[in-house]
Amino acid sequence: MAAATDFLSKPWVRWVAIALVVIALIVLPLILPAFANQTLARIGVFAVAVLGLNVVMGYTGQVSLGQIFFVGVGAYVTAYGVQQGWNIALVLILAALIPGVIGLLISLAAARLGGLAIAMVTIALPIIGVPLAKRLSEFTGGSQGLSARFSAAPEWTGLYDDQWQLYIVIAIAGVVFLLTRNLVRGKYGRAFAIVKGNEAVASSMGISPYRYKVLAFTIASLIGGVSGFLYMVVVQYTSPETMSFGHSITLLASMVIGGAGSILGSLLGGAYYVLAPQLTNAIDSSLTAVLQGVILLVILFVLPGGLVSLPRLWRRRKSEHRGMPALDATASVTVPTPHPPTQSEEKRQDT
Amino acid sequence: MGTFIQLVIDGLSAGSIYAALALAIVLVNQATGLINFAQGGMAVLAAYFAYTFLQWGVPLILAILLSVLVSFVLGAVIERFLMRRFERGDPDTAVVVTIGLLTLITGLCGWIWSFNNLQFPSLFPVQTVNILGAVVSIRSIGTTLVIVGIMLLLQLLFLGTKLGLALRAVAVNPQSASFSGLPVGRLLMVGWGLAAGLGAVAGALIAPSLTLTPGMMDSALVYALAAVILGGLSSPIGVVIAAWMIGVLENLAAVYVPFIGYDLKIAVPFILIFIVLIVRPQGLFGRKEVVRV
Repeated sequence: MAAATDFLSKPWVRWVAIALVVIALIVLPLILPAFANQTLARIGVFAVAVLGLNVVMGYTGQVSLGQIFFVGVGAYVTAYGVQQGWNIALVLILAALIPGVIGLLISLAAARLGGLAIAMVTIALPIIGVPLAKRLSEFTGGSQGLSARFSAAPEWTGLYDDQWQLYIVIAIAGVVFLLTRNLVRGKYGRAFAIVKGNEAVASSMGISPYRYKVLAFTIASLIGGVSGFLYMVVVQYTSPETMSFGHSITLLASMVIGGAGSILGSLLGGAYYVLAPQLTNAIDSSLTAVLQGVILLVILFVLPGGLVSLPRLWRRRKSEHRGMPALDATASVTVPTPHPPTQSEEKRQDT
Repeated sequence: MGTFIQLVIDGLSAGSIYAALALAIVLVNQATGLINFAQGGMAVLAAYFAYTFLQWGVPLILAILLSVLVSFVLGAVIERFLMRRFERGDPDTAVVVTIGLLTLITGLCGWIWSFNNLQFPSLFPVQTVNILGAVVSIRSIGTTLVIVGIMLLLQLLFLGTKLGLALRAVAVNPQSASFSGLPVGRLLMVGWGLAAGLGAVAGALIAPSLTLTPGMMDSALVYALAAVILGGLSSPIGVVIAAWMIGVLENLAAVYVPFIGYDLKIAVPFILIFIVLIVRPQGLFGRKEVVRV
């Protein structure tokens, strides 16, 4: 196993792997059937939403039950902007900025509360958001919702719509993932981790828990807004139902199931968000909610780090079999926290 | 003036139900330090139990009492077999567990009893009485009185009995409580059971006016959480007062503030929270928590 880790941590191997992924992302939309492309695009949309939730919850430890609200606001801003005929780049910027500003204002108040109170405040966002969207029908189209078609493939590309939409999602989601990865691996990420670990320690080190909670929440709202833009690219329609309470809970479940405090986990979470309902509907549509609850509870019991921790769990099993001491068998109950970097990760950062 | 009194009394009755749910949340929080987001879901389940007992021909008052009993047992079982594992760990994880529980219970209710609205009979007659020129429904008065009565009983339990003393000891310091020979695990189960029973009463009282659906308590839960924040987690009396305040204010705002109206009145407690938070972050009646490193 050590040899395999060494091989994987060589710089050129990583570059080749990255290149392969990029090539796959460029080529795959061209050869996959339309349905697969649409599903992949939707996974990308919700992976971004889960990523935003991860910034505030997975990395900073503040339970947010309102992420879907910011996705909804982003979608509404996009739909409204497109209907008004604004420039699409401006629409994208506004779709991120407006939810960001709302998130900033909410967190300025909510972050004053300690501990779980942020969860208790944010649960209200989707529950207020739905009637609010119905009320502001001048901008939102009321219960009817808004549709905006702006993501048809341009003539010169010769692409089908589904291919073009998937490319947009890949490009924007790729940038968001890259930026977020850099954020959580750098100075801010370490500050988030300390705020999550122990606020008293954080403030004794000169890191204001309040300021970093507000920052994390604002970034999460920004990312949620981008996800809302992408939602409009793919779905092209939004209604108050987009930000319903049930969706908000599913988003949170997806984050935990994918893996809290993990970039790859966000991607898996997005896949879970899109694929799980399709799967449970195929079994029995009236059982969807029951199965979702059961899956979430089972994951929390047997795999608290989420799906992304499967390989690590497997590695640990193997090392236990060879008689090495278990790393932290008891600590696994307290996850989701970002895991201490495993050996291979540490090496990677050194090179 | 008549409308005003009517609104205030209706608000008090709605506020009483939020207060019951909020007290259940505080009860669990005091005992185990976590927020049970499934408290509303468990109350809905209890209301469905009462509904089923009614179908079997049990008289209403007995059906409700039975559902409270079943909820007590269910709450204790959930504590023992689901929450126990997560109580000592990260509170965030425990919160996610309760959210999973909420999804599961809502799903189960929908699966067993369908997502359609079911009619649930009221414990009180639909007549109205005249108080100072205001037309007030007996249901509103009855609901308020029942909840106030239960609160007095709970107060008696916590302050006047050995069991209450033990429960308070566990809430203050589980470790010392267990050193002095208290069965902490069993007391936690009792705490959860009491909370679930309290929720069951709230569910049975709110079901007639909202009609029974799996998501019936979602907004009540939000109100209850708002009351918990406003009152402060450490102050049961503060929570009850906050819940009444929310009930009355949202009713008044719905009628007298045109932009809010009935559909947006749920925003009222949160506007209130934002104002309070800026002035008193620990809640209206709560104590500032001091954490030792």
